[in-house]
Amino acid sequence: MEQKSDTFLANAATAMNDTAAAQRRDIMAAFTPIIRQQSIDGFSSYEPTRKHLKRVRQHTLNHLAHYLAEFETQALANGNHVHFARTPQELNSTVLDICQQHSARRIAKGKSMVTEETGLTAELEKAGLQVIETDLGEYIVQQAGETPSHIVGPALHKSADDVRQLFLDIHPLGERELEHTSDMVAEAREVLRTHFLQAEVGIIGANALIAENGYAMLVTNEGNGDLCANLPPVLVICTTIDRVLPRAEDATAMLRLLVRSATGQPQTCYTSFYSGPRRAQDQDGPVEVHIVLLDNERSDILDSEYRGILECLRCGACLNHCPIYQSVGGHAYGWVYQGPMGSVLTPLLTSLEQSAALPNACTACGRCEEVCPADIPLPAMLRDLRAREYTEKLTPARWRFGIAAHAWLAQRPRLYHSLSGIAVKLLRLLGRRKGYLRHLPFAGGWSSQRDFPAPQAATFMQQLHDKQRRERQRHEH
Amino acid sequence: MNDVSSDQSVPSERPTVALFITCLVDLFRPSVGFASLSLLQRAGCEVVIPGQQTCCGQPAYNSGDYRGARALARQTLKQLEAADYVVVPSGSCAGMISEHYPRLLEGPWRERALAVAAKTYELNAFLHSVAPARLPVVKVKTDSVAYHDGCAGLRELHVRKQPRELLHSVCGITVKELQQPEVCCGFGGTFCAKMPQISARMADNKLKDVQASQAQLLCGGDMGCLLSLAGRASRNGQPIEVRHVAELLSGDLSAPAIGKDT
Amino acid sequence: MSTEARSAIFARLQTASAEATANDILRESWALGHAPYPPLPCENTEQAFLTNVLSNRGTVDHAQDRSAAVKAIGRYLYTHYRTQRFVAGNDPRLAAMPWRDAGLLPRFGTVEVGEPLTVGFARLGVAELGATVSWTGKGNPSANNLLAEHHITLVDSADIVATSEDAWPRIQADMERIGRPRGINFVAGPSSTADIEGQLVCGAHGPRAWHVIVIGKLPKDALANALATTADK
Ligand code: SF4
Repeated sequence: MEQKSDTFLANAATAMNDTAAAQRRDIMAAFTPIIRQQSIDGFSSYEPTRKHLKRVRQHTLNHLAHYLAEFETQALANGNHVHFARTPQELNSTVLDICQQHSARRIAKGKSMVTEETGLTAELEKAGLQVIETDLGEYIVQQAGETPSHIVGPALHKSADDVRQLFLDIHPLGERELEHTSDMVAEAREVLRTHFLQAEVGIIGANALIAENGYAMLVTNEGNGDLCANLPPVLVICTTIDRVLPRAEDATAMLRLLVRSATGQPQTCYTSFYSGPRRAQDQDGPVEVHIVLLDNERSDILDSEYRGILECLRCGACLNHCPIYQSVGGHAYGWVYQGPMGSVLTPLLTSLEQSAALPNACTACGRCEEVCPADIPLPAMLRDLRAREYTEKLTPARWRFGIAAHAWLAQRPRLYHSLSGIAVKLLRLLGRRKGYLRHLPFAGGWSSQRDFPAPQAATFMQQLHDKQRRERQRHEH
Repeated sequence: MNDVSSDQSVPSERPTVALFITCLVDLFRPSVGFASLSLLQRAGCEVVIPGQQTCCGQPAYNSGDYRGARALARQTLKQLEAADYVVVPSGSCAGMISEHYPRLLEGPWRERALAVAAKTYELNAFLHSVAPARLPVVKVKTDSVAYHDGCAGLRELHVRKQPRELLHSVCGITVKELQQPEVCCGFGGTFCAKMPQISARMADNKLKDVQASQAQLLCGGDMGCLLSLAGRASRNGQPIEVRHVAELLSGDLSAPAIGKDT
Repeated sequence: MSTEARSAIFARLQTASAEATANDILRESWALGHAPYPPLPCENTEQAFLTNVLSNRGTVDHAQDRSAAVKAIGRYLYTHYRTQRFVAGNDPRLAAMPWRDAGLLPRFGTVEVGEPLTVGFARLGVAELGATVSWTGKGNPSANNLLAEHHITLVDSADIVATSEDAWPRIQADMERIGRPRGINFVAGPSSTADIEGQLVCGAHGPRAWHVIVIGKLPKDALANALATTADK
């Protein structure tokens, strides 16, 4: 997917100017934390499960080569073809080869952030294939020519009116009202049903890969992923190497956290484990199954201080609780992943230079870390990325200079105190009698949006000093 | 400037508290420093104000200048080590000292940081649960008060009920609760200067919440948030009065509210 | 390309992985133990199962035995479709049910597009999740879970387990007998979506309605209590 993270601030400004969309984001931001909280409140083993899972994930990542190899062995024994891809391009061409081998023309695709990352759909379309996203949210953004704004709810930025108009425009079904959301869902169901039945290849992602038995786990509410996995004669599962878990029970334990954190449900409607192509007695299912495992920087992340981000479950809770995501929406981040997890992942998967604004889009309020079911220290990782920007001189020179000068000065208390005394006097002169300064020298950022409260009399240290001198003099008299 | 003790003739069972003023209080709102000082004394403490203190290093730390932040952390630790307790009228600076210094420093300095971390408290938390004496009741003219929970205080230090209970027992104020008290106000240190538009929108959301609570006064424990919210309210022409919670608890509202006519 | 990519990735992972023998790793994995026990809405497993199916927007019924189950299905068919016809998998348990007693006319096999109703027989019910579990095979084509408007799932009360940790050994035991099934499907509700403005709509791509009938002994009042607790909410 084409990246537009370098214009984060401009993207954000555009998003904030769309007041109707901003209002919808405010509603979601008020609503989603409540349903998550209710769900966690009803699940008394949340904390111990979180701790247990952390140990499982860390153990797995510590021995990722071992578990990935075990998964591969089992998956091959189950009759799958297993492919590895180092880069997005390798994944795309592997999948394209498979489609072309089967002379496929129609592809039914389930939701997969990994294929968004590689831009698979565009690649397949370039080769003349018809690729239809079947998750309702993905279908909506695909048909609207947009990109997902949220890793879990890709079309949550659109209003029901937007979707109604879109469907009236693109589905040649004559006069109709599509009054309720349920009418639109029903229409998409009918339109996509045909596609499921005609597709020659189904492409899905996987929420986990089970090392002990070679199954891939797929979690959906709509059932679209299962239709992709069961109806077309060829199935391709695209995921990344870090999705492995040792045992089947680890995957179901993980779901207790993932689903509650994502949608507030105790369990998604469909949780499926697929082992490979159809067996002799099977009545249906694909005859050929390919599993494509993408690295794309993950092995480097594994070897870095950002290893913890590989424990992410992709639940979206950090987005739902991030005040900056709420303010600017998902598109501002300019790539596949949004919010706090996106601001960590995007620089690591693309480049820090292209996404330098993202780690700065954080007030370190800590709400994401608090709700993250994988207990990932997101604010600390963002801070570490800012430190990398600082040392690699990606931070604007003006900023680096300001920060360094302040730190230098603060290490010289005498000078600091006398200079701050002078600064306060100056500011008071400027803000005299109003209590506020509308423009503050050297702080254009602040004064573009805020008045600057003028300081009181002198600094605390000066006042204290004066007071003590007066007291001493009194004693002496 | 030399270290200065507030009171020389105190009984020795009074614990010594090093008051870390914070750079924003020092620069913009000394009255909060004096209110904190007086509160700690009323609560039975011997207060020391280390004279070489400047800034805890947060701006450098959060901007990714870890070297600068380390130097300031070491300097600040040296200033605070001697006291029985360290008290800070700011959740984020207290959190910087108690949560982040130990992460930032290594070796013997890390040990020293951990020792100071163990005795460092945000002002409300200290007055509520640690100080030897209860605060005397004061008269405050307003009872229409909302409390803004600074994020570091709330999530790093779990300061939530303490200021509310203090406001109730000391000032007789029942805090008007916001709809979304756990949402950030958009200050975020250098964030508000780097991304002013986003920050302003977050401040507006917070101010909307305050307005809906019908409170006339907004108080909190973090000067950064309060300066930012007062500044945004002024720009918007919202008449809310903004103060640090220490001013209310001390019963001294003689200083004009933040950014009001001086 | 793929073998080259494979060895490059594994070489990179080796350097990033902790050094350990397969035995070390195995021992370490034993020490991980199981996930903490998840809370159930009530003490008895069957009632917890029914309660959670209901809170997952399923509907439930109880039948003492197979002939009562046939009657329960007949009632459901009549209420929703005024029909006696439906599709059932080639499960011997389904084949042996006394359908004629209730005048029902099952077609055994895989559901075709347009057929509104399927009946399946689950291998397990999991109380914790309010889910039924089945695996694909001759008796259970996966399409039957997905393509109809209404999906009825039967489950024997003896097959209801408390947690997913309890489910896996049962699944494993079957795998040892019949090999690894192609698909293991946990179903916990009718298909749904909240992709438009966060509003929940049932019947996204799969069934609009999901009806679970427990066959066999249930603790006294389990069904009534489950219905009462979910009605409160
Ligand atoms: S970082 Fe945590 S909260 Fe965010 S999506 Fe990943 S698991 Fe969920």
